[in-house]
Amino acid sequence: MPSSNPLPPKENALFKRILKCYEQKQYKNGLKFAKQILANPKYAEHGETLAMKGLTLNCLGRKEEAYEYVRRGLRNDLRSHVCWHVYGLLIRSDKKYDEAIKCYRNALKWEKDNMQILRDLSLLQIQMRDLEGYRDTRYQLFMLRPTQRASWIGFGMAYHLLQDYEMALKILEAFRNTQSKSSYDYEHSELLLYQNMVIQESGALEDALAHLDRYTDQICDKLSVMETWGKLYLELGRHKDAERIYKQLLHRNPENTGYYIKLQEALQLETSMDRLRMFDEYQALYPRALAPRRLPLNYAKGDEFRLIVDKYLRQGLHKGVPPLFVDLRSLYKDPEKIEIIQRLLLQYVDALKKIGKFSEEDPKSSPKEPASALLWAYYFLAQHYDFLGQTKQALSYIEAAIDHTPTLIELFVAKGRIYKHAGDVIEAYKWLDEAQGLDTADRYINSKCAKYMLRANLVKEAEETCSKFTREGVSAMENLNEMQCMWFQTECALAYQRLEKWGDALKKCHEVDRHFSEIIEDQFDFHTYCMRKMTLRSYVGLLRLEDVLRAHPFYFKAAKCAIEVYLRLHDKPVQDETAQQELNTENLAPAELKKLRNKQRKARRKAELERQQAAQAQEKREQHNKSRQQGDAEPDAPPQDELVPEKLARAEDPLEQAIKFLQPLQTLAAKRIDTHLMAFEIYSRKKKPLLMLQSVKRAYRLEPDNPRLHRCLILCHGYMEKCAGSLEAPVATVIQRELAPIFKGKDAKQLNAEFLAAHPNSLEALFEGSRMWYYLDPTQQEAAIKLCTKLDKNIEGICIKNCTVILQSLKSNDFGPCPTAVVDYEARCHALFPYAETFRPANSSTQAPPCDSNHLADITKENCIGN
Amino acid sequence: MAGDRSNRVPEDEANGDIGGDSDDVTQEKAQKKTAKYDSGAADLEKVTDYAEEKEICSADLSGAMTIIGDRRNKEAAEKMAKERELLKVSIKKEDVDLMMREMEISRGLAERTLREHHGNVVEALVSLTD
Repeated sequence: MPSSNPLPPKENALFKRILKCYEQKQYKNGLKFAKQILANPKYAEHGETLAMKGLTLNCLGRKEEAYEYVRRGLRNDLRSHVCWHVYGLLIRSDKKYDEAIKCYRNALKWEKDNMQILRDLSLLQIQMRDLEGYRDTRYQLFMLRPTQRASWIGFGMAYHLLQDYEMALKILEAFRNTQSKSSYDYEHSELLLYQNMVIQESGALEDALAHLDRYTDQICDKLSVMETWGKLYLELGRHKDAERIYKQLLHRNPENTGYYIKLQEALQLETSMDRLRMFDEYQALYPRALAPRRLPLNYAKGDEFRLIVDKYLRQGLHKGVPPLFVDLRSLYKDPEKIEIIQRLLLQYVDALKKIGKFSEEDPKSSPKEPASALLWAYYFLAQHYDFLGQTKQALSYIEAAIDHTPTLIELFVAKGRIYKHAGDVIEAYKWLDEAQGLDTADRYINSKCAKYMLRANLVKEAEETCSKFTREGVSAMENLNEMQCMWFQTECALAYQRLEKWGDALKKCHEVDRHFSEIIEDQFDFHTYCMRKMTLRSYVGLLRLEDVLRAHPFYFKAAKCAIEVYLRLHDKPVQDETAQQELNTENLAPAELKKLRNKQRKARRKAELERQQAAQAQEKREQHNKSRQQGDAEPDAPPQDELVPEKLARAEDPLEQAIKFLQPLQTLAAKRIDTHLMAFEIYSRKKKPLLMLQSVKRAYRLEPDNPRLHRCLILCHGYMEKCAGSLEAPVATVIQRELAPIFKGKDAKQLNAEFLAAHPNSLEALFEGSRMWYYLDPTQQEAAIKLCTKLDKNIEGICIKNCTVILQSLKSNDFGPCPTAVVDYEARCHALFPYAETFRPANSSTQAPPCDSNHLADITKENCIGN
Repeated sequence: MAGDRSNRVPEDEANGDIGGDSDDVTQEKAQKKTAKYDSGAADLEKVTDYAEEKEICSADLSGAMTIIGDRRNKEAAEKMAKERELLKVSIKKEDVDLMMREMEISRGLAERTLREHHGNVVEALVSLTD
């Protein structure tokens, strides 16, 4: 369909140049040509030219004008596919993909076979994972232009993604046949490997092997060929062939631990004796390789283990390998191995001190070890005891090491870590700060130090520490956000959560969430790029990664924090500050009132000052953005709504907000029980019985004996019983039917008693069970408290984390008011974990920040009771 | 100007009309700000560069294309038949409303699930709570 307002040849030529300039990113020139057309009064309102001018302006960062021109152009020429297409592109640049698709569809109405619009549409469809739509569009493109390479690949890939392997392979094979062979063609090679990947996924392993055999010499990526061979041979049970391949692969890289494991599979080694013999061979074959020396430690047992670990440790300590402990930590699953390692190290320390050798039985003639061997042995032992939770021992060895060599940074980091594990976050961060001071140019130490500061709730200090490595002229916090520094942001969110600064915590969580959205958006450019470059294997890998992106632990942490905060805000909404104060003034004596007024005045002045500073920072930020825009043609994505902590903390619908964070977890982290337990917390507050049922069912399937699930089950039982009468018939039927196999017709008290009887030695189970005991029968307060505060030797799970949870629960009256029990439990925990901050009696502690946070908590609690 | 155009393979004969040539409009993708002061930025920038599509020449395209065409028609017919089958199932509006309210799902999903369970609301709800 031609435009309703065609241009004469001269102007038309100019218009073509605008398009050309846009393609080649010469936006300034494009604007010049547009001006030349629009200067002619006859064409001053020419729709397509106006639209293109707008699109070009958009690329120069002038968004508002861009919208104005593009919209005006479209109004002037509603039947032009160019105008609709341009509008779609503009909207797409604002990430409104759904609306952009509508615009493209409008454009296609006027020009149904336009390649470019179809291509752009297909990009949006794959981005939105509308796979069927993508396949249909790729089909149209294919039929329109079967001579284009991309038409075939896109079409074939669409079927691959829809798991229609037969069709995908038919298309790929037909396409491969059209390709002429040249000697070294990387793109062709990638195509073959992609084809092979599709064959493998279709399950036809024999075919995949035949395909690989046939095209080996055309494939440039030899390593991939070998690895695929090995994998296919193993899967097909052709062990001899697999053995040959993995031996070759090990020759290429004797440090790849995966190859050793596959080789054992290929050799069908069953006993650890055989395995050890194999590693012996490889040690002889590659004497400098580390893997064949380290891996046997996983398989050896008893005396044999002692023999080889002795050798391994001596080598490590002699050379001074700092991560020696980390390297061996995975062996600590086996108590026997821990015992052996400990005995050896104690012997080394003894002998080194006496005669400078690892053992007193070493031959007289053998050379003495370097002095540093003793240092590394101390260092190892400190980490060893720390791992075992023996803080005192760990500290004495790390002290000995520091006495030996006071300038080794690793030692201070280890010391900090020991304190961290012992629950003393303040002392921990102090030692990290010390380490950081020894080498201020070391970014790793700097980051670690910042992280420890966040653990100690020292947000400002952490930001300051980070600022040594962030961009100058911008606040560190902003720069860290810009760099998507997620470990910092999640730790920061957790610190704010502990400090009960709900708004700030939420801000950090939302920032992390936005990073994930941004990463998903960033894949857009690669839809064309990867197809063009034929890197199809990686491209499919990318698509699959992006599909499950929010399964990443960073997202889980941030989402968990956000959900917890939103639940807290639902239970106890943040009070409006001024109203609060008004209320309090009523019953105050005049003198106190005056004091309060003074305080308020000061607070106001401080707030004013902060506002000014914030305004200045804002200005700076804008300047920074501006200077960036001038430097580079393309502006940042549209500014998103600013995240204001005060507003976030006063969200009107905290539960809906929490659900937004929860939903990705329900699809992507469905294997983690926490997901469903959080879902239960949300939906029980929303009083949605079927969704509560859903959470409980999913959790029950994962781990029926989970203590925290037990609590949900008891609460669920009570809730369902209470409102059984008011439920709609189908809902009641579903609930009855689905809960029957879980509750087995027992009542809540019975269920709880059985649960307690079944898990008498698990602290977590005792806690949740006794908490529910009190909940079901408040007359049993004393007995319930006694049960959950047990700290007997035979109980599993006595650790700082669990005991803290119990203490908090006692404090927040889950067992009814019990001040003496709190004091008593705190004291007993303190005796058990003397270093831990949380159990330290209030007056003996001099550290300010954690006390502050406790203090704050008390105040909010008082206020709530007061109201 | 003519030179400008002759450098390029004509993309689409069908629409080579005045002002309608939006093939040219848009190759350039994504107003992504790749420009972030890092040295990698230049490379990233190239990702969005315009590139001409590569052509392949082969006489033997038509054969392959017919197989594909047949297959597609059959596929579309099968899908249609399945959808029609589903649409035949009669469902009650009140059941759909209940499902939407209780499970907090969209109308489309509620209707579809209910149809897939032959209009049995209890079965549909059980499957949704799985």
